[in-house]
Amino acid sequence: MDKITFLLSEGLKNLWRHKLTAFTSIFSIFLTLTVAGSLLIVSGNTERIIEYLRDKYKIEVFFKQNISDKRIQEISKEFKSIRGVRSTTVITKTDAKKIFKSQFGEDILNLVGYNPLPASCVINLVKEQKNKLNIRPIVDRIRKFSEVDEVNYQGRLINRIETAYQSFVKVSVVLLIIILVVSVLIISNTVRLTIYAKKELIKSFQLVGATRSFIKTPFILEGVFHGLIGAFIASLLLYGSLEFSSGFILSLTGLIIDFSFFNLLFLLSSLGIVISFLGSSRAISQFLK
Amino acid sequence: MIQLDNVSYTYEKGGGVSNVNLAIQDDEYAFLIGPTGSGKTTLLRLAYMDLFPKVGKVIIDKYDSSKIKQKKIPFFRRKIGMIFQDYHLLNDRNLFENIALPLHVIGFQKDEIVDRVTESLEEIGLESKSEHFPDELSGGEQQRACVARALVKDPDIILADEPTGNLDPVTSFELIKLLEEINREGTTILMASHNYNLIKGRGHRIIEIQNGIVRKS
Repeated sequence: MDKITFLLSEGLKNLWRHKLTAFTSIFSIFLTLTVAGSLLIVSGNTERIIEYLRDKYKIEVFFKQNISDKRIQEISKEFKSIRGVRSTTVITKTDAKKIFKSQFGEDILNLVGYNPLPASCVINLVKEQKNKLNIRPIVDRIRKFSEVDEVNYQGRLINRIETAYQSFVKVSVVLLIIILVVSVLIISNTVRLTIYAKKELIKSFQLVGATRSFIKTPFILEGVFHGLIGAFIASLLLYGSLEFSSGFILSLTGLIIDFSFFNLLFLLSSLGIVISFLGSSRAISQFLK
Repeated sequence: MIQLDNVSYTYEKGGGVSNVNLAIQDDEYAFLIGPTGSGKTTLLRLAYMDLFPKVGKVIIDKYDSSKIKQKKIPFFRRKIGMIFQDYHLLNDRNLFENIALPLHVIGFQKDEIVDRVTESLEEIGLESKSEHFPDELSGGEQQRACVARALVKDPDIILADEPTGNLDPVTSFELIKLLEEINREGTTILMASHNYNLIKGRGHRIIEIQNGIVRKS
């Protein structure tokens, strides 16, 4: 227990002892996490935008004449079981007649003497899906029903939106990985400077019989503390910036930026700990090799 | 016992030791004497396994340089106290923290660390300077602090590499006497020095090394 306390206090004291390298390391973690955090907030909100758009996706299915309402209800249930379908709404011939009247102010029976409007079903698609939402297989399955006369959907537009969203997700992930790898390398090199400056300390540790893990632990803990401090500052900056600009963004785009400070802090702290742990472990392990 | 069997070590740019056979018994106080560059430091580095013989082997206690695994070396070094000419004290820690370092490494409890360090500081007469940093101490005080750091873990062996090299004659003499006291309590001591006048006539074994070869033992 005393050994753990000693190693923890060594890691904390090293923050003060290695002020310059601590500042460099914390600053690079702060920059990295600010960029990574911005990317995460943007992609999180883009997900909301795509969900909003998907909510508007509709497939309209028109049935042939003389199909009973009961059969239409059965088919509607079968539509709902198709993968990718969220809900279905049946519009019977009677409903269609009412809609016509509400929209045009005339009863269609008075105009043409009978009800030519077909029964239809409006299909809404799933919103929460990470992968590209492919509408084509759904339409193909619907068309297989002999009772279906016509299927209307905005296939090309939906395909474009989905492709653009997938490209954005891929670019974000690649960008995030690049940022994190670069930051691990930067932190590793910064910690290496500390280690070279502390060669004497390491030599002393080795001469008095310290094991590799005993020598490594304070340096790794020091790195983790850098990560936590960098994450905290980055979270504060992002929180402040979003608080400051959210009103402006709302008035400009009508979009409410969705984020929670504590989620952001937790996410960035985790990232900060991981990258600083990897960076400092790499540096000290290479030195002790 | 410190035992060197037919040990040779050569640096890439020359120098080192050649064909050294040596045995230092438990509780012995031996001086390793020779001019600068004669191989004294190399021999001590071989003894604490900072270097490994290219030929032959070093055996201390149950540890054999030809068989020891890298991960066992720290445990071997915990049995040895080392004193250097240039002290190797850490300037960012006070005297108490410097002396406590080996005990933290070994994993002593806090209370015992305080007791042992206080006792060591009293033994070397620096109890009033426990809060001082190394650069606030004289050379002699720093070297005594090194002795305390070597001693605090109660080692079986002390290896001292020119510990009087940076000290004036009076302080050097006091250090030799301090090490004699430690030796009387049962610690084996091997001390390297180039100053023959300092050690002659003290009744201890003298091992003479020249150009990497032990001439007289």
